[in-house]
Amino acid sequence: MIPSEIALIFVVLVGLFAALRVAFEKNTLRKLPYLNVLSFAVAAAIALLIRHPLALLAAVAFFVGSTLESNAIASTYAGGRDKDD
Amino acid sequence: MLNVIARILAASLVSWLLFITIDVLFKLPEKGGVSGAAAIGQAIEKDGGALHGGYMMGNIVCSPDASAGTLLAACGVYIAGIPGGLAAALLVYIGNRICYDPGYAGTTGAVLATFVIFGFTRIGFGAEEFIAGMVLAILTIQGLSHLGASRLLATLWGWRA
Amino acid sequence: MQEGETKMIEALLYAFAGIALIGTVSAASMRDPFDKLIGIGVIAAGVLPLVVYRGYLDVAVAVALIVPVTTIIVLLVCRRDAR
Repeated sequence: MIPSEIALIFVVLVGLFAALRVAFEKNTLRKLPYLNVLSFAVAAAIALLIRHPLALLAAVAFFVGSTLESNAIASTYAGGRDKDD
Repeated sequence: MLNVIARILAASLVSWLLFITIDVLFKLPEKGGVSGAAAIGQAIEKDGGALHGGYMMGNIVCSPDASAGTLLAACGVYIAGIPGGLAAALLVYIGNRICYDPGYAGTTGAVLATFVIFGFTRIGFGAEEFIAGMVLAILTIQGLSHLGASRLLATLWGWRA
Repeated sequence: MQEGETKMIEALLYAFAGIALIGTVSAASMRDPFDKLIGIGVIAAGVLPLVVYRGYLDVAVAVALIVPVTTIIVLLVCRRDAR
């Protein structure tokens, strides 16, 4: 098995574990760090699956989008200030 | 295959040290950068964790920090060597500004990680091992025990402050 | 050689479909609206590698940008009701 496949196996396992923890965590705000781990895993998987610059763009776009989304959810949940986009 | 796994674990340790050091140096545990990060920190503290550790974990969630920089730099180096890593650093910088974060932890992490990872590729590592390694590293902080991780981070913050 | 690797990757892709499924069940069964939005994020996370693997990288970038923006719009529109 080539190294990138072994790396992908690790990444997928982490992703699955994180997705399950998101689902089973009761406290909404504490779901967000697990969602963060899932985003790391998926961004890593995108880069590992296709070795092409556009895949790098897709991985970064997904990760930044997911971070922005988590930020918005956390801020709104906490009654924070407006989020203009 | 065992060699690959050993290298992934080693890469994980290197990534862990790199992003924790940069984030603590950039004072991520000091306070929540945005209201969401502070809320996450307080939620972790309420369940028994340490407040400053929680603030850093909240900051990691709400804006690309050195951990994100390291991961995306590893992806960049895997795909296109040093130019790829630096391109990833630029995208991380843009991501920081989009998330209303005026800091440089993410960009610094990405640039440093680009050169560190490239250096390791010269001595037998593959960048993909750093990709998996960084995912494992963030799992230990954000994905296993929030309370334990927050206490560890608060201790490290105590050394810095 | 190539065939073995492709089969391995295809097996891993089922795991991403599984993640999307976990997100769907989570979004459907949680009561709190914020938890539902988080579940939708999990769905997007599971679906994107499947899109990328087939080569639709531009579609992937579009989905990766549209899903968070939609979530933010939902948060803005329902801000008072959501709490």
